[in-house]
Amino acid sequence: MTNRRAFMKSGAMALFATGLGGGLPSFVARAAQSQKLNQPYKKGKVLVCLFQRGAMDGLMTVSPYTDPALKAARPNLYMSPAATEGKLFDLDGRFGLHPALEGLFPYFSEKRMAIVHGVGSPNNTRSHFDAQDYMESGTPFSKSTPSGWLNRAVGLMGHDATPFRAVSMTNALPRSFYGLEESLAISNLQDFAIQMRGNPMAANLAAKSFEELYDQTSSSILNRTGKESFDAIRMLNLNTIRNYKPADDVVYPASPLGNALKQIAILIKMNVGLELAFAESGGWDTHFNQGTANGAFARNLKDFGDSIAAFWKDLGAYQDDVTLMTMTEFGRTVKQNGTGGTDHGRGSCLFVLGNDVQGGTVYNQVRSLAKEELEDGRDLPVSTDFRSVFSSVANAHLMINNNQVLFPGWEGASLQLMKG
Amino acid sequence: MQPPRFIKVFSIGVVFTVISAYTPAPQSGTGLSKIHLPYAKAGLTKQQAAAHLLNRFSFGATPGELDAVVSMGLENWLQQQLQANLPDEEVNKRLATGYDALAMTNAQIVNTYVRPDQALQIGVAKGLIRRDSIKVAANTADYRNIIRTLMDSANLKPVNELHRQLINQKVIRAAYSNNQLQEVLTDFWFNHFNVSLTKNQSQQYALTYERDAIRPNVLGHFSSLLEATAKHPAMLEYLDNASSVSNDNNVTNPRLNAQLQKRLEKRADQLMEEGQTQQQARLMKQIAAQKKNEGLNENYAREIMELHTMGVDGGYTQKDVTEVARALTGWTLYPNSEFGAGSAQRKILERIGMNTLLQRGFVIQGDFLYRADKHDQQEKNILGHVFPAGGGYEEGMRVIELLSSHPSTAGFICKKLATRFVSDTPSADMVKKMTAAFIKSKGDIRQVLITMVEQVDFWKPANAHEKVKSPFELTVSAIRATHADVQDPFQVFNWCARMGQRFYYYQAPTGFPDNAAFWINTGSLLNRMNFGLAFATQKIPGIKMNWAQLNNNHEPESVEQALTVFSEILLPERNQEENIKRLLPLVKDVRIGAKIAAAADKAAPVTGGEMKMAEERPLKKQERKALAKNSKQPLQIPYTAGTNSPIAQVAGIIIGSPEFQRK
Repeated sequence: MTNRRAFMKSGAMALFATGLGGGLPSFVARAAQSQKLNQPYKKGKVLVCLFQRGAMDGLMTVSPYTDPALKAARPNLYMSPAATEGKLFDLDGRFGLHPALEGLFPYFSEKRMAIVHGVGSPNNTRSHFDAQDYMESGTPFSKSTPSGWLNRAVGLMGHDATPFRAVSMTNALPRSFYGLEESLAISNLQDFAIQMRGNPMAANLAAKSFEELYDQTSSSILNRTGKESFDAIRMLNLNTIRNYKPADDVVYPASPLGNALKQIAILIKMNVGLELAFAESGGWDTHFNQGTANGAFARNLKDFGDSIAAFWKDLGAYQDDVTLMTMTEFGRTVKQNGTGGTDHGRGSCLFVLGNDVQGGTVYNQVRSLAKEELEDGRDLPVSTDFRSVFSSVANAHLMINNNQVLFPGWEGASLQLMKG
Repeated sequence: MQPPRFIKVFSIGVVFTVISAYTPAPQSGTGLSKIHLPYAKAGLTKQQAAAHLLNRFSFGATPGELDAVVSMGLENWLQQQLQANLPDEEVNKRLATGYDALAMTNAQIVNTYVRPDQALQIGVAKGLIRRDSIKVAANTADYRNIIRTLMDSANLKPVNELHRQLINQKVIRAAYSNNQLQEVLTDFWFNHFNVSLTKNQSQQYALTYERDAIRPNVLGHFSSLLEATAKHPAMLEYLDNASSVSNDNNVTNPRLNAQLQKRLEKRADQLMEEGQTQQQARLMKQIAAQKKNEGLNENYAREIMELHTMGVDGGYTQKDVTEVARALTGWTLYPNSEFGAGSAQRKILERIGMNTLLQRGFVIQGDFLYRADKHDQQEKNILGHVFPAGGGYEEGMRVIELLSSHPSTAGFICKKLATRFVSDTPSADMVKKMTAAFIKSKGDIRQVLITMVEQVDFWKPANAHEKVKSPFELTVSAIRATHADVQDPFQVFNWCARMGQRFYYYQAPTGFPDNAAFWINTGSLLNRMNFGLAFATQKIPGIKMNWAQLNNNHEPESVEQALTVFSEILLPERNQEENIKRLLPLVKDVRIGAKIAAAADKAAPVTGGEMKMAEERPLKKQERKALAKNSKQPLQIPYTAGTNSPIAQVAGIIIGSPEFQRK
C-alpha cells in the first residue's frame, strides 16, 4: 500500500510522483505551496460518525436494569445480567450492556469507550425525518440551515482539501455533509474509476482522453476538479482496495455496515487525507418483535458491535488518530407496545470510542423510569443535548474551538468526556 | 376507493387560479409584449443565439431543433414556449400505460399506494389480518411476505411504485415534451418550493404536488404558486403546518375548548373504568393540557418567508415568523385516508356536518381544510400590518398576498431565476431590471423571463456555457441530443443519484443548491464521465439510440468527418475546430482500441469502412501482438455500428467531456 507519509518523510516527492505515472497530484502541489501545511499529508485526526437510522432502543442497548419500573413497563423485553434474563454485561451496577455487544464490551472495560445515556434533541419531535434532519443540521429548531454540522466541522478545521477529506460511505450525501465544503459520497471505493463494462482497454483509453480534455478546458472548476479526480484515482489504487487484507484475525461482518467501516479503514491506512467519515446502519425502527438476547434487534446490534470492533482492531497503530461516535435520532418508548416492540420515544444512548476518550463510564442524568419522571408520561427524557456530546468530541479530537459556528444558536456546555 | 367526500367548496380565489392555469392562452394576442432579443449586440449570430436559448430554456436541443428555431424565429419560439400549449403526443404515448397514479386524486393515492406499516393498519381495519398475527413473523423476510400477501388481497400497492411513476414521468416529460420551458420551470419551481420523498408524512402527495400545485402555475403569477403550494397536502405535511394549532384555544375558542375538555375527561373516565390507575388518568389530563399549550409549529411560517418569498435578509423578524405561524394556524389537509387516525377525523367532520362547519368558519377547498377550531383568533401584527382579533381563514390569504407582493420577494425570486437561467453570479443590474418587471407586473413570471432575455447581459459570451448542468440536465440533454429511446426512465434516476442528484429526495426545504461548485466534485465528475461512456456505448439497460441513423445512415468517410458530424450533433454551435483538434488523436486511439477489442472478441462487425492505418499512429508492441493473435479475421470496424464502435466511444467521451457538462 502506498504510504504517503513514508514518501514525505524521506523527501522522495519526485519518486512518489513518478510512481503515480504522471505529474504530482495537483492538490499535493497546491498543498505543498500553501503556507498552511508544511507536510501536505501530515497524518491528521479522523472522526468517524455512524448514524443508526430508525431510532435505536437505548433502553435495551444499555439497560438501566435495576429500575423496577423498566421491568414493569417491559415484561417481555426486560433484560438483566442474570443468566435467565439475557446476561447483560454489567457496566456499573446500574446499567447493563446488551450481550450482542460483546465485541464492544472490552473497550468499555479498557476505558476507551464511553457511553452517554438519555441523549437526544431538545426538539421533541418523534418524526424520524424531522429528528434526523435536526440532528444532522445541528440546529434542532431550524430546518432551513443549509449546511450539516459535519460540513461545518470540515470548514472549521480549515485544512487543505483532498478529495477524500470528508467521505460518506453512502449512495447519497447525508444531511450532515450538506454545505460549502467539498465532500464525497461513495458506497463502494471500487467505483472510483473510469469504467466501461466488459471493455477495460477502452476504459483506459477513455480515461486518458478525459484527462486530456479536462486539462484543456477553459472552465476553472471543471479543470481543477478534473485534475483532482484523476489524481485521486491514482492515489486510491484499486488493486490495493480489491486485494485489501485486514489486520490479523480481523473479520468484518459481511454486512453493509461492516463493508462501509472496512472501506473507511482502507482510506485511513492509505493516508489520503481523510478527516471525517460517515457511515450509517438501518433497521432500528423496532415496532414489532424486537426480541431480547436473540431476535431482530439483537442481530442488528451484533452486526453493529462486531463491525465497530473489527474496524477498531483493523486500525491497529492508527487507533490513536481515530475517534468513532455513534448517533441515533431518538429513543423508544419505555413501555413495550402490543406487538412485541417499542414505539417512537425521546432519549437514547450513544457510544464514543477512541484513545483520547475518558471511557469506562456511562455518562448520564437518567433518573427513575417511573411514569411521573418520564417525558409526556411515556418516554425517557432527553437529559443530555446531543450537541454537548458532539461538540465535546469535535473540540477535543478535531481541535475545533468554535461551537457557535458548529452549532449556531446553541449556548449549552460541552459534556466533558474526552481526555485533556 | 375514493372516500365519499360529502362536499367541496371552492373559494373564488381557487376557481380563478384553476381557470387561469387550465385555459389555454389564445394562439395570438397573448397579452405578452413583442419580444426583442438583443443577441446581436452581444456579438452572437442567430445560430449561436438559438443554441444559447435552447441551452437555457430547454433540456437541450434535439437533432435539427436548432435549425428549426432559427427558421421560425427565436422570438416566435419563445412566445410558443411561454404559452406552453403545444400538443404532446409523444409524452402522452409514453405515459399511457403503467402510470395510473398520474390521474388519481390524493384520496385515491393514499388509499392505494401505501407504506408497509399503513398496509398493516388497513389490513387490520378491513379484518384481513389480526394485529398480533405479525408476531409469527420470525424475521424481516417473513414480515415482508405477510405484508405482500395482505397488499395483494386488499388491492394495495407499495408506495415505491408511486415514486417510480413520479420519477419516470419527470424523465419522460423532460426528454420528450414539446413544452420544454414548462418542464424546465417545473424543475425550477419544485426545487424552490421543495418537498421530499424522504419524509413519510408527505411522500404520498409529492406526485399531485408537482401535477396540481407546481406545473399548472409555473408560467403564471407568483402568488398563484405560493397559494397552491401553501394549500397542498405535500407542503402542509412536509413543513408541519398541518399540525400547527393555536396555543390559545382556551382563550379564543371557549366553546370548542369545552368540547375538547369534555372528550378528554370522558377518555380519562374510560381509563378508570378499564382498571387503569388514577395516576394514569391524571397523566392523560396532563398530556391534554400540554398538547393545548404546545400547538404552534413555526416551521412553515419561517420557510415561507426565508426560502419561498422574502429571503433570509428580506427584512422580517422572529416576531413576524411567530405571527405568520399564528395566522396560518388551522391550515391543514382534509383527512383523506380510509383508515387510521385520518379516517377517524374524517368521520368526526362528517358527523358534525357541512353546514355546521361552514357556520363555524371552516373552509374546504379540494384537499385543503381550514379548521376554525384550531385557529388563533387573537390580534396579530405581521410586517407592520395589523390583523385584528377575530380573524379566520382570510388571514392566511392576506399573508400570501403580503408576502408575494413584498419588494424583498421580487428581488429574491428574480435573483434565483437569474441564477438558474443566466449565471451562478448574475449581475446586479440584470436582477434589478427583472425585479422591476416583477413588481410592475404583480409577479407575472412570463414578464420577468421576457425582461431577462431582453437584456444584452443574457447573451454575453461571458455567460454562454458558464452554467454547469445538473446531473438531471446532463442525462436529459444527452437523451435529447441523440434522439435516444428511453424505455426505462428509472435508469436515468439511478445515474443522477450516482452523480449527486437524487431528485425528489433532497431532504432540506432549501432544495438543491444551483451552482457549479455543488454539482462538481471528484466523485460526481468521474460518474459524469462514466455516464457518458455507458450511455453512448448503450450499456444502460432500457436506453437505446442509433448512431448511424443520427447521421441519416451515412457512414462517415473519415475520422475527421465522423468527428465533425457527431460533435456538431452533441455540441451544436460550439467551437468545433478546437473540439476536433482535441478529439482527433483520441478517436484514432479509440479506433485502434476498438479493433483490438474486436479482434480479441473475434466478433468483428462485417459492414463499414476500411481500415485506414495510414492516418493512425503506429501500433504499440502490445497492440500489434493483440492484432496478430487474430490476423486471419478481416478487421473492418465501422464508425457507427455496434456498441463498441469508435463513434459510440468517442460520443461517450464527448458526453463525459467538460464541454458537454456546460450549458
